[in-house]
Amino acid sequence: MAEVHQKRPIKMPQLNVKVIRLLATAVVLVLLIARIRNVAIESQYGADTWLRLSVSGLIVGGMYALIAIGYTLVYGILFMINFAHGEVMMIGSFGGYFVFEAFNAIPVTLKDGTQNSFLNAQPVIAILLAFLAGMGIAALTGYFLEKIAYRPLRGAPRLVPLISAIGASIFLQNAGQLLFGPQRRQYINPSVIDRGLGWQIPIGGTNVLLTYSGIFSLVLSAALMIGLFVLVQRTKLGRAMRAVAQDKRTAALMGINVDKIISQTFVISGALAGAAGVMWGIHNGLTNYFVGFLPGIKAFTAAVLGGIGNIPGAMVGGMFLGIVEAIGPAALGIDFQLKDVIAFSILILVLILRPSGILGEALTEEKV
Amino acid sequence: MKSSLIQKAAKSGVVFAVIVIFLALIGFTVTAASLIQKVFGEAVGVSAMPAYPALVVFLGFIGLWNGWRAAKHTGDHPLRAGSAIVAGLVAGFVAGLFVLVYTLIVGTIHSNGVDMRVYLSSLSPESIVYFLFGQSTLTGGLIHLGLSIVSAAAGALLAIFSDRSQHQFALWKQKLSLWVNTSWPAKLRKNVFVGYIAMGVVLFLLVILPRTWGSYWNYIMGTVGIYVLLGIGLNIIVGYSGQLVLGYVAFFAIGAYSFALVTAPDPHHLNWNFWVALLVAIVASAISGVLIGLPILRLRGDYLAIVTLGFGEIIRILIKSDWLKDITLGPRGVRNIAGPTLLGKSFSSDIDFMYLIILAVLLSIFLARRWQESRIGRAWLSISQDETVAQATGVDTYKYKILALAIGAAFAGLGGALFASRNQFTGPEDHVLMVSINVLSLVIVGGMGSIPGVILGAFTLKGLPEILRELESYRLLVFGALLVLMMIIRPEGLWPAKRPKYGEKSPPLDAEKGGPE
Repeated sequence: MAEVHQKRPIKMPQLNVKVIRLLATAVVLVLLIARIRNVAIESQYGADTWLRLSVSGLIVGGMYALIAIGYTLVYGILFMINFAHGEVMMIGSFGGYFVFEAFNAIPVTLKDGTQNSFLNAQPVIAILLAFLAGMGIAALTGYFLEKIAYRPLRGAPRLVPLISAIGASIFLQNAGQLLFGPQRRQYINPSVIDRGLGWQIPIGGTNVLLTYSGIFSLVLSAALMIGLFVLVQRTKLGRAMRAVAQDKRTAALMGINVDKIISQTFVISGALAGAAGVMWGIHNGLTNYFVGFLPGIKAFTAAVLGGIGNIPGAMVGGMFLGIVEAIGPAALGIDFQLKDVIAFSILILVLILRPSGILGEALTEEKV
Repeated sequence: MKSSLIQKAAKSGVVFAVIVIFLALIGFTVTAASLIQKVFGEAVGVSAMPAYPALVVFLGFIGLWNGWRAAKHTGDHPLRAGSAIVAGLVAGFVAGLFVLVYTLIVGTIHSNGVDMRVYLSSLSPESIVYFLFGQSTLTGGLIHLGLSIVSAAAGALLAIFSDRSQHQFALWKQKLSLWVNTSWPAKLRKNVFVGYIAMGVVLFLLVILPRTWGSYWNYIMGTVGIYVLLGIGLNIIVGYSGQLVLGYVAFFAIGAYSFALVTAPDPHHLNWNFWVALLVAIVASAISGVLIGLPILRLRGDYLAIVTLGFGEIIRILIKSDWLKDITLGPRGVRNIAGPTLLGKSFSSDIDFMYLIILAVLLSIFLARRWQESRIGRAWLSISQDETVAQATGVDTYKYKILALAIGAAFAGLGGALFASRNQFTGPEDHVLMVSINVLSLVIVGGMGSIPGVILGAFTLKGLPEILRELESYRLLVFGALLVLMMIIRPEGLWPAKRPKYGEKSPPLDAEKGGPE
């Protein structure tokens, strides 16, 4: 059938791309709004469901945002998608898991004579160490990832580091499977942030449970994002990072060690992904070798959504994607099984209709 | 002796220690040892551990490499014997020390009766004992230390030897190339008939082998053949036109499912003819390629990769979902898919299927070559080299990219249909992302844009693990590492594509308007 193509070359009408994009965006939006209205009128869900969904979306969105920042930071500097970033998150998640497991195995006798595990006796220390371990090991992974898989490829054609990144991603995922086994592992939370505990919010006759673990994750991700923002905007390292992102050569001429800054960028983004991994475990209660794959892709979607290379954009995009994904199936009246389809569709629609993202960043032809 | 030299060697030692410990943690030491034992002719029984010498051989190889590398990295030209040996010894000592610490930790935990498999699934008690050579913890560790030092020193000696005899090697090489270029091999190469004879031999083998192999080999080679088919298709997209597509499995799935749904008795009761269904599958995949390509092929590079990955996942989730259950039967999959028939006779034995696959592969190799050498192929080449320049020189890049995607998708559809028909079953789990990754890996490892490379890649990545079943669980790990390594060491692949030379010989562009007829 390809021969048919050859004999009669198809003439593509050369319409203005911008006009098409605008029209298509309008059509998509109108269709979406019509659909949501229809569903809302015959809605089977009460206000409690919407609140529950949006809160859980916000919590997951915070994690997406943390991972998305990693994509954006690396993309801003190297113009490459760090495909293995989701796997870095998975490794961070295992770091936290092992700390909790270890502390859970240490028995402690409390003052009143009862036996308890160290995990429940000293939850603050346990959580702190779990996050430190998760972030630390993920940062280390990020560092070595860059050093082994990306640094030798500086200056190669753009397909080359991307393939290397895909390879690194497969490698890390399977290393995780071979090391820790294919089974799902139950994340043991300290009892203060047990997944069943939380505030009861009465709404419309029923109570909505806001779990402590979820709120804790949300607050922590917000704090980490603020910390990163301060780091990038106010510190010397942040200034160097921005300089390298703008122009590597000039930055090098100004006395900045570009390789070192790139390494540090990977360490920072790895640490954020590791924190997200531990949160993922605390919030969802399980981890395994595959846990980083979907969040990785979705966080990439979030980064694209907010305008890749743009840090506030990644934060907004992550939150937005989390909420849309959580309430999307209910709002559109489709199966909850198709949750992941929503995220992928958003990615595709954004890239087709507005490749510069919500908050936008002037992308040249070369970048997209 | 310079301290930087020792530092360098120690660093090399640390790297190798990490490698050995990692291999031990994922259980590869046992697998490798049993493979080595198998090579020497003694198969290892089920759930039995291989003999200790096999482990010594395996670790000895790693140690040799360690010493070799450390010696080579001393940076002297020619190598100085003293510093090379010191470097090898230091590297071996450091690596051995780390392994010793590892064995002490693991051995102590093991001897306290803790089953480490709860956390590290490959560390069974037997494998720990095996790694300790059946000795006590300390003795086992010390054996590792000694082995590491000895083998690294031997590696350093080997490096010195090869360095000393470099001149000799160069002489031999020169002699060999002289002989090849002047004596009868050269005449043979220039002779046109040799090519035809070689081709005839290959064809003869292809005809004769499926009859003599038996069904096991037919199954493996059939899988390899289908992957060659997929590889050729993806090669057109990635290798020729330079568009990185990660969702190739989407077309494979569309081909398999459209074939399955029109031939299977359940759910649609269509029972179409095999060949009609094959055509339907190919056309459906090609059309889906165009439809998917239309909106997204304006994107470049990494964005395209992610978007197509998203498409692949969407297709799989949709096939699996309850929403489309009436059409695709959801997670259960489609059963009783028809086999090939001709003139009312059924041809679905494994031998017939092998012939069918071989035919499909030969046909697609032919087509791919013709396309590559045509005007379209040159357009693809220009796009893959530099899209902006291609556009500026008047190539309708968008059209040719869509064409590439459609053709590649058609191959995937063919592969999917054959796959479904051979297994008489297709389900959503046949169409996971890993299929895309496998095909992409074989294209890249073989050499982007090269058809012999694709065949070689399919044999090494798909055939070899089937033959060496022990390695099955490490296959994807090796794929990943291989992709990274290939990009660093040999980005053009094992069997790189020869650039078609467009010199004075090629006809002017206007003279070649016709297609590959």
